[in-house]
Amino acid sequence: MDANATHSDRVAFYLTGRRAEGMREVGALRPALQARYRDLTSLRHDFPLVLATSGDAAAPSLTALVDAALASIAKGADAERARRQVLRVEQEVRVLLQQGVEGTLAKLWSDATARLAPGRDASLAEAARRARATIAVDGPLLRCDATLPERLLQHVWQQEQQRKQTALRERLVRLIQQLSDILRADFERSGAGRDATRLKASVGSGHGDLFDFDAMSRVLARATPREPMPEARRERIRRLLGVLDAQPFVALPDENAARAAGHAAYGYRFDSCAAALAAWRERLPKLIELARAIEVAELEIDGRYHAERHDALFASYGANGLEPDLLSHFPDVFVCLDGTSLDAAEQTRLMEILAGELPIKVLYRVDDLLAALDDAAAPTSPGLRCRQIAHMAMGLNQVYVLHAAASHLPRCGERIARAMRFAGPSLFCIYSGASGAATGQSTYLAAAAAMESRAFPAFVYDPSGGPDWASRFHLDDNPQPELDWPIHRFEYEDARLQRVSVELAFTFVDFAAGDARFAPHLARLTPGSDESDLAPIDEMLLREAGRLPERIPCVRMIDERDRLHTVLVDEQMMRKARRSREMWHSLQELGGVHNSHANRLLERERAAWEASHAAASALPAATPAAIEAQAAATSLLAEAVPEPEAAAPSRDDAYIETVRCSTCNECTQINPKMFAYDANKQAYIADLKAGTYAQLVEAAESCQVSVIHPGKPQNENEPGLAELLVRAEPFR
Amino acid sequence: MNRMTATECLLEMCEEHLELEDYQSGVPRWCTGCGDNAILAAVQRLCRDEGLRPEKTVFVSGIGCSSRFPHYMKTYGFHGIHGRALPVAEGVKMSRPDLDVFVNTGDGDCCSIGAAHWIHALRYNMNLTVFLHDNQIYGLTKMQASPTSPIGTKSNTTPRGSMLEALNPLTVTLGVQNVSFVAQAVDWVPELLYDIVKAAYHHRGLSFVRIVQRCPEWMPKLHDPWLHDPNRVQVLHHARGLQVSAALGRVYRNQLEHDPLDLDAARRIASGNDAIPVGILYHDPEVPCYEDFKRSTLLRTPALIRSGLQAQFDKFTVWPKAAEVETAQQAA
Repeated sequence: MDANATHSDRVAFYLTGRRAEGMREVGALRPALQARYRDLTSLRHDFPLVLATSGDAAAPSLTALVDAALASIAKGADAERARRQVLRVEQEVRVLLQQGVEGTLAKLWSDATARLAPGRDASLAEAARRARATIAVDGPLLRCDATLPERLLQHVWQQEQQRKQTALRERLVRLIQQLSDILRADFERSGAGRDATRLKASVGSGHGDLFDFDAMSRVLARATPREPMPEARRERIRRLLGVLDAQPFVALPDENAARAAGHAAYGYRFDSCAAALAAWRERLPKLIELARAIEVAELEIDGRYHAERHDALFASYGANGLEPDLLSHFPDVFVCLDGTSLDAAEQTRLMEILAGELPIKVLYRVDDLLAALDDAAAPTSPGLRCRQIAHMAMGLNQVYVLHAAASHLPRCGERIARAMRFAGPSLFCIYSGASGAATGQSTYLAAAAAMESRAFPAFVYDPSGGPDWASRFHLDDNPQPELDWPIHRFEYEDARLQRVSVELAFTFVDFAAGDARFAPHLARLTPGSDESDLAPIDEMLLREAGRLPERIPCVRMIDERDRLHTVLVDEQMMRKARRSREMWHSLQELGGVHNSHANRLLERERAAWEASHAAASALPAATPAAIEAQAAATSLLAEAVPEPEAAAPSRDDAYIETVRCSTCNECTQINPKMFAYDANKQAYIADLKAGTYAQLVEAAESCQVSVIHPGKPQNENEPGLAELLVRAEPFR
Repeated sequence: MNRMTATECLLEMCEEHLELEDYQSGVPRWCTGCGDNAILAAVQRLCRDEGLRPEKTVFVSGIGCSSRFPHYMKTYGFHGIHGRALPVAEGVKMSRPDLDVFVNTGDGDCCSIGAAHWIHALRYNMNLTVFLHDNQIYGLTKMQASPTSPIGTKSNTTPRGSMLEALNPLTVTLGVQNVSFVAQAVDWVPELLYDIVKAAYHHRGLSFVRIVQRCPEWMPKLHDPWLHDPNRVQVLHHARGLQVSAALGRVYRNQLEHDPLDLDAARRIASGNDAIPVGILYHDPEVPCYEDFKRSTLLRTPALIRSGLQAQFDKFTVWPKAAEVETAQQAA
């Protein structure tokens, strides 16, 4: 009786959310699978990151750097002790960071060593110093908090910007230099450049009195080239120099900036799409002007600019917009958006940026994924909105989309670098985990839980990866991507102190259960209750919705003292979990995992193969005679085709094997009207009537490569034909 | 950039196309029937097909019938002194690496007086295309034996027949350590001559092409056995070398598949006696070019030149007695 009552109470809770006796508030519980991850300072995880300005990786993790240092210094008899000491210092750095201390790696490392040194022997400080000496990079340390996405992405973006700006600056300096050289060379060769005072100045003070500079100037003036540079060209070069000097996109080194004093270079970092779009529209005319000036300058320096042909071409340069590959040489723009509080107008502008293929890199940061289920004012949770935007961007096909939780960013170094190098818009949808609504969880764990539970999976759409979805879309960074939910082994001690090992799936419900806003939808059972009618979430989701449930879904959670509790889940939560699972399925299909089209194709092919296999084995084995007959038929066919050109046909017309002519001029000297050269300067018979048969035979005899064939004489009345025919015989 | 932007497409449309005659300057004064005419035709075809800009192309030669070549090309040219075609060409290339430099030299100019420059030009491997017009005689000076004349050649300087075995230019070039492209052509098979000239132009490095050439004036019968019997010409073909067209293959049936990267096989073929091998004997695209080592990315601005000069002068400057003046001031 008791069990039944409890069961119907549980069903009632499942359907309506009304708690009965024996069901309590969830309080401060965490998902069971997070049991081991309580104190992050003692866990050697991917954070903190070092924003390095040198070396290969833009932001290596402290763990990786310390491991590399240990590999080189922990050798010999002292290895184990040195290892322990260095790891202790690393842990102390994490403690300092958690307490809120900011600074670079060098500073925090020495602070940590200083804090640990008293009370331990000098070998700790020594080991720490040696480790620090081996680590070649330095930079500010980043924790996983709300500012991580922006600081990390901005760091990578700035490194790419440096590279672009340096390349652009070098190019501009070279162009300015070479254009100025052209003008100066022209001046030097002109009359003004060869006057006496200039010549005297160019010789130098030591030998000034050895020459009569007036006479020199008179002599050189007479040698001035008769065709000086056209004034139009000089004017064009001056205009080009003006544009290149005054351009506001990159700062030029001091020597050249003297001409463009007072011109500040543009800034490239914005905090809203409106500002970024406005800046882009304002700068576009200048950008087109600069791009055009660079192209014309390159042509001008190479001597290939022809005003009559190229002026019209360049007059309408850029009217069709500039291509992304061209734009990728210029610095691009970085915009940081706070997705949790973005209004509709900004979202429209964001889509405008992405659809317009503008070279703008956008960080769309979401701090809070979930919205309370009953909140009518926010029908779409921020997480859902973020997913929508990512999908829309992928649908535009030319946007690089990176969708990941902040905890995953250290593993995305290569992808982030590619996104920053991509010639076109890039969208980073990052969940920072810093909502603060999760009870007792650090930002890192919240973000990691979101990724693990598929609430915020990691995916990448890279348009530069290839022509099709298989090469562009990547889902494989997610744990166990072929499953609905990742499954982990969980061990606990039961009431009889026996070790029990189960496999638990980390589902959407596990993620949301830690959030206080979902407390009304959860009910904690008293320990020791009957659990025979309960089932885990992943099993329950596999059944159809809508029927009276025989079993009630539940999750395992633990409290601060690491005791295990069972928590019931109501139908609304299950609906959310179901939707999350379906969204994951559609991502899987995009990523080629359990793709329904592929499966159907495979099924069809398999059925066809089986059908043909069955048919083949049903026929009697082909008789040897039949096979032979078939083979004979094919060989007959082959022989039936006659050998082409077994012998060259002898023709009656005179002809030359033009392709083999070696241009020796023998025949054209004999009769330039009869024999002529074609476009490749090889001879052919241009006009047979323009010469005699005698000349044909003579040409055939003198031809070095014997490719002239006189054929039969055209004119029967020509004298000496008999002897000529005899001479022509070898050339048939 | 493989994909062209819209501007580049439009620019290419506007480019002027030159015909073969646009590269012809004057009327060649070679004898009628001279093989140099065939080489001239092949090179002019190359210029037209590759769209070489006349102001960016240079032909450098030494002395000899071969070295009349630059006069008949409407490009830049340099007709230099005897045996020094290669050093002049190397100088042009070092100071203007953007120009396409071709070298026309003869068997006397290259293998006799210019032999030293020849060896070292191969070692430097600058991006030049060298044509050795080998007619196996000194033609311009009216018949004297050259290093490549066959033994027993009767000439003005060897009335009883030459006494030395002929030099084999192919084995010599294949013996130099840094060699990157060696090919042989004959002037009476214009199709193969053009293909080899084209491959030599496209190779980045020193492309050495020995063109066996007829001299109808002084050595009229020398090449008759090979002219009249196509089987005594061995055509070398390979996926990485020449491809033989069907029509040519029917006439020249003596073919050999030879991998241009196989140096030992190339040396064996080059040392062979009876058949004349025609094709690419050796081709290694990876050998670095000397001008690449010397190229600097620094821009030669006046400031850079000034600072360089000052640094050099400072090494030899006699400094005024600043030290003594200073101590004197301190003492005061």
